[in-house]
Amino acid sequence: MHHGDSQGQSTQAETRRAAAGGLSRRAFVQRLGALGAGTAAALGSRAESARAQYGVNWSDQLPADQLVAMYTDMLKIRLWETKVKDLILKGGFRGVAHLYVGEEAIAVGICRALRKDDYIASTHRGHGHLIAKGGDMAKMLAEITHKATGYCKGYGGSLHITDVSLGILGMNGIVGAAHLFAAGAAYGIKVRGTDQVAVSFGGDGSLQNSFFTSAANAAAAWKLPWIGVIENNGYQIWVRAREVYGTVDLAKRAEGFGIEGRVVDGNDVLAVYNAAKYAVDKARAGGGPTVIECKTYRWYDHYGAGGARIGVDGAFGLGYRSDREVRDWMAKDPIRRFRHFLISDRVLSVEQADKIEADVAKAVDEAAAFAEAQPVPKPEDGLKNVFAQGAVPLRNV
Amino acid sequence: MPKNMHYAILEAIQGEMRRDKLLVLLYEYQRPSAGWQGRSINLEAEFGRPRVQFCAIDEQWIVGAALGMAMTGVPAIAHIPSMATFIPFELMFNHAGKLRHMTGGQAAFPMVLWADMATRSPYQGGQHADAGLESAYARLAGLKIVVPSNPYDAKGLMVSAIRDVDPVIFCHYPMPATGPDVPDEPYTVPIGEAAVRTEGSDITLVGYAPQTVEIAKAVEELAKDGIRAEFIDPRTLAPLDGVMEPILQSVKKTGRLLPADEGSYSFSNCTEIVARVAEALPGVKVKRLAFPDAPAPGAPEMINYMKVDAAKIAAAARKMVKG
Repeated sequence: MHHGDSQGQSTQAETRRAAAGGLSRRAFVQRLGALGAGTAAALGSRAESARAQYGVNWSDQLPADQLVAMYTDMLKIRLWETKVKDLILKGGFRGVAHLYVGEEAIAVGICRALRKDDYIASTHRGHGHLIAKGGDMAKMLAEITHKATGYCKGYGGSLHITDVSLGILGMNGIVGAAHLFAAGAAYGIKVRGTDQVAVSFGGDGSLQNSFFTSAANAAAAWKLPWIGVIENNGYQIWVRAREVYGTVDLAKRAEGFGIEGRVVDGNDVLAVYNAAKYAVDKARAGGGPTVIECKTYRWYDHYGAGGARIGVDGAFGLGYRSDREVRDWMAKDPIRRFRHFLISDRVLSVEQADKIEADVAKAVDEAAAFAEAQPVPKPEDGLKNVFAQGAVPLRNV
Repeated sequence: MPKNMHYAILEAIQGEMRRDKLLVLLYEYQRPSAGWQGRSINLEAEFGRPRVQFCAIDEQWIVGAALGMAMTGVPAIAHIPSMATFIPFELMFNHAGKLRHMTGGQAAFPMVLWADMATRSPYQGGQHADAGLESAYARLAGLKIVVPSNPYDAKGLMVSAIRDVDPVIFCHYPMPATGPDVPDEPYTVPIGEAAVRTEGSDITLVGYAPQTVEIAKAVEELAKDGIRAEFIDPRTLAPLDGVMEPILQSVKKTGRLLPADEGSYSFSNCTEIVARVAEALPGVKVKRLAFPDAPAPGAPEMINYMKVDAAKIAAAARKMVKG
């Protein structure tokens, strides 16, 4: 129900593009300089930057159906999380959430470069990672409202929601732990001798406890197929990263360990994809780890919906950041940018782009209705799953 | 209404920072400011940096730096959030608790680890609702551990902790603003002394921090049935000897001991209290109520079924007295 539409859309898009005698993407990029539009300039610089950094602009080789799938995934994250925000504001929400809105380009750009059998380890702000890796929006909503049929049967909730079958080593409420587990998984890949890779996501706040240090050192020493993704949204909970860090470009830290560090615009899904594709290909070929820092911004508060309103994007009036800063970043909306690109590049018509958005909105509404109708867990189930076998005894009677 | 818990703690630190011009507070994101009845405390504004400093998400730095400072005569308070309670475990275990002994009394760490503690709240799922971790710290030699249950004790115990020449872990459970009024002036609540909250003769109930709320309700319920319960709040978990005195006296009188624990059943402070009572007073009736030896699930249906509450304490006490 959540993956069927992108294929159909992209076929349509291809057909229309062919019918319109559309330019190839490569030809289009070559003509951009002459157009002089803002988007064109941004795209041109991305393409140049990609060629300079990686020798090739990987995103230029993405077929239309993949581009459309990326756009669809970004919208899924945006609309699913916006639904969660609205449900929280309505009251009586059976859960908590750390919203990822504004950072969609990172999850989608990275995961598009991965195979299903690659691993990711996620964060407390990880709904987007799960959706980008192919997670089911309905089972996700059931889980974050602690229903018995959710991904984790209501045990885990938002902070621990995962689909192990998609190679997701879990979301994690402990900041930074993901780096260590992904590097460990990368070591396991080396032991098994496959060409998989393992990616960890972490915020700018995830670099200080020893998890990242241990991961980076071992990955560099033994050329592990590990990719550390730093989602630098500028804030560690409510503390500005620049007030507690001596460096601005956090990817530079990787260099001290002997790892290539890349800094990309985290609101440009194709720039993120370029970096990811480069890192993934390198890791698969035995070239070792890469750290990718994506500069981005969190539209909402650290958790919950403080400063937000139903039906309105963004959270304002939060004491630790200015509303102007929020609006500046919202103007760099990664989804609007990508939509503009897809339409300019004739991958999608305006109508097609709108239709995708409407379809995703409908799927999100269906997910919410599904979650709402699901049963709550049985109380005594809390005593199960402590060990593989049996249940532990109750101790309050 | 007395001052709230956070205000009372900050007032303790404020008084001590005014008294000791070197005292430092390191913390992560929990800004040291609070309000109460139109009054406010803001330690950042009053003392500035470097004495009041927020840090990266880096509990090893916050606690390790406090230890390093304390070794060199700069007393420090390290404030860490509840989900990170165990990240500095190694530092407290192999360093803070051992230095004085290992150096034959030459060196020590007069620091306070102000640890926010998690409660058994729904919707957290595992990592953010694991209460009772003070029991694991209480196992470590050389550390003092206090667990205040109300704002009055919180302020008095924080002042005592800061003035103590040994490392103290101040376990900060989010408690309601109940109990005695909190004086503006600095005062101490001695480390190592329990408080008898309610006197009674039929059964001895013991519990601290979140469980004090449930036990107080259970005491009222039991009174309706004519059961007079004595309720003792340990307040300190290490060292425990002084705390045990009123508990032993009480059980000698009642012949029944029922501790209630927000933490897990096995290897907890309540286990220790029961063991000491059983050792000193053979033949008394003992029982423990606790969370099962399981992680805390997120769904309210599951976690509420598993935790200890007033009704369950009252039911167990009734059974011990009448059954």
